[in-house]
Order: sequence, then structure tokens, then C-alpha cells
Amino acid sequence: MTSGRWEQLQGKSFLESNARTRAIGLVDSGSFTELAGPRHRLTSPHLPLMGEAVEFDDGIVTGVGLLGKKPLFIASQEGRFIGGSVGEVHGAKLVNIVRLARESFDKMLEANPDLPEEKRPAVVISFETGGVRLHEANSGLLAHAEVMDQFQDCQGKVSIIAIIGSRVGCFGGMGFVAAAADAIIMSQFGRLGLTGPEVIEEEMGRDEFDASDRALVYRTTGGRHKYIMGDCNCLVKDTIAAFREALQDVLNKPYSRISAMRRIGSLENVTRQLRQVSLCSELSPKDSKDVWRYAGNENPDDLADVDFDTFLKTARRLVLNDLEV
Amino acid sequence: MAKQLHELNFEFKAETPVKFPYEFLHYGVVGSGDMEAIMEKKEQNGLVTIRVVTPVTGFDNVWQLVLQRFVDETGIADASIDINDNNATPVVVSLRLRQALTEIAGGAA
Repeated sequence: MTSGRWEQLQGKSFLESNARTRAIGLVDSGSFTELAGPRHRLTSPHLPLMGEAVEFDDGIVTGVGLLGKKPLFIASQEGRFIGGSVGEVHGAKLVNIVRLARESFDKMLEANPDLPEEKRPAVVISFETGGVRLHEANSGLLAHAEVMDQFQDCQGKVSIIAIIGSRVGCFGGMGFVAAAADAIIMSQFGRLGLTGPEVIEEEMGRDEFDASDRALVYRTTGGRHKYIMGDCNCLVKDTIAAFREALQDVLNKPYSRISAMRRIGSLENVTRQLRQVSLCSELSPKDSKDVWRYAGNENPDDLADVDFDTFLKTARRLVLNDLEV
Repeated sequence: MAKQLHELNFEFKAETPVKFPYEFLHYGVVGSGDMEAIMEKKEQNGLVTIRVVTPVTGFDNVWQLVLQRFVDETGIADASIDINDNNATPVVVSLRLRQALTEIAGGAA
């Protein structure tokens, strides 16, 4: 990839970019090397038996690149291939890129005990997935558990950054996985949740959740709502360059500050989550706007519609410090 | 077994052959109604071998025609092409194969 083309990628919409483009564009120009890529033809062993089309990368791009001096281990999911779902090969690639990052860190530290922060490896996952691939659900589920295991092993060593701004969003089991990352960067078009809107509607009925109401879907699962709730750390514009810049901002911080951005994994974080739960039972919100108002936004109706810059300037984020658990 | 993926194998020889200049290229995403292709250099006396993996049955002749046309118009020779298809229409197949070649000409690695 020549630098001219890399420059062009930076201005591209993140939402419209495929998995490989995102992976190449997030790291420094010309530094991306794909591992276990299409060349190796690691297709799903299960799909052919069901007459389902296969893909040479099984819907995920994995590789390494550089961000300044920092080695980045990247996984980027492709939503257009079976909804970015996690099958056996897809999952194995994801698990092993995280493992590779940690093992590289261990080796680097062994070779240089004074390894500077700026050279410490990090994992970046660009999520675009509905979770488990139902055609190979057992191995898909297992992969979810294994990724979480790897995340746990990375604690104190390698930062894990989740990036969510693609069409499918990040749902199902992978919603849990993203929530377990150190930091989450989203665009307003990114969506994050556990049970996806369509599934809620199917299970609980349209009165509970109307999945065809895009405004409702976005203000419940979308980047703006997640930003106000503190479920994501940064909200950025929908370009590859904007995500890359936010990634740089986060990864320039020392490791301890990055891991302080987590949502789970400490007593403090759990207490905060419990406060959120008790707030929900007190407030019994009928709509996310009720919570926005509670957070100090006087005109929550406007907040869903204002342009992005105004939103970032005016939106007040939920603070839960003074709530009793 | 009712449903299975099918593998089709073709061999072509262009009328005015142009040697395939790249070691390896990959293009496309196997979305619904879409496909991906890997093209690789392979010395085989000017032949192009194409393997298609697809859930679709009964269109072998259409594949033959579409691929023959691609080979004739581009003159691609001494290459091996691997296609993963997911119900792409003939128009999409032609388009993606052409895009693969122009993409690389545009400077992709």
C-alpha cells in the first residue's frame, strides 16, 4: 500500500469502510502486516456442510502494525460476512492476536526490563459483530470465553482498546467482550449492546422495543447514548483519521491511566455499575431521554438531533458519585 | 445431504495473452450477493485456472461464459484464480474481477 492511498483512507467514513481498510488505516502508513490472512485460506470447516458461503479470512482481519513506536495488534471484524459473527476460525484468530500481543510484551520486557511505555504493545479491536455464529455456535461461544481469558491475562501488561463505529454495531456476546476492554472509542453511528434490537422485538414484542424505529434504536444503543452513560470513553467523528487520532490520544497515556478507563474489574467500577442499576430502579426511565435529563441535560429532545460538534460541546455525562448503593 | 457448497473448476486460454504481473492479490468481501477473489501468478503455459466455491447450483454454464469473457477481455494468462461466491449475479462477478485488477493497478499492496 503506497502512502498516497493511505492518505486517502484517512478521510474515508469509518462506517463505510470494510474490515481490511479499517485495519490498514488505523496504524501508521505502510506498517500493517496481515497475519493468517486470505493467503492462508483459513476458511470455516463447518459452513460448507450447511451449503453456506465461506470467506478466506472467515470475516476477521488480524495483523500487526505500528502507531509511532508502539506495536499494535489489530483485529477487525467484517460485518458483511454473516454479520461479522464469531465462528471457530474467526474466534481463533481473535483469541490468538490478543495472545500474541501479550507474549510479545513478555518477550520485549525480558529483553529490555526498562521497556518504555511508548514501545509497550497494545491490542486494538474494531468490532463489527452480532456475536456467536449460530452455524458453529459451540466453538463460537468457546471463543468468546477464550477472548475474555486472554483479556484477563493482559491485565497489567497490554492495553486493550475497543473501537465501535461500523454498520452492524457490536452485539451479543461480543458486547460483553467490548465492555471488558480498557477503553472504548465510538462514533455516533456505532452501536453497542447485548441483545440486539431485532432480537428484543422478536422475543418481547414490538411494544417493548420497535426495532424499525431507527431513532429509538440509536438513542438506546448508539454512540451518543453510550457516551452520556459512560459506557464508552470517547466519541469521535466518523472518519478513519478521527478514530486513529482518538486511539493515539488514549495510547499516549501511561498504562495505569488507560486501565483506569475500564468499566469493570475493580471494586470502584463495580460500585459505579451498581449505582447505575439502583438509579434505574429509582428513576424507572421510559426512554433514554429520561436518563439524559437526569444527567443534567435540560433539553434531551434536542440532544438526539443536534449536530455532532454541538453535541460534544453541550452534552452532560452521567455522574453517579453521590448515589447510595 | 441436501445443501452443500459446490466447487466448480475452469480452465481458459486467452486469445491474446498478457502475463499476470502480480504474485498475489485479494479483492472483495463475501457479503450477501457478493464475492471475493484471490489471483496468483502461476506458470502453466498461458493457462488460467479458476476455482469457484458457491452455494448456487445450476448456473455452471453462466459461470463458464462470464469467466471466459473476463479472460478474453483482460488477456489474463499464467494465473490461478480462487473465488468464494455468495449468490453474486453475473454482473457483480464481472465487476469484482475487474475491480480486483484496477485496485492493484491503483497501487494497493
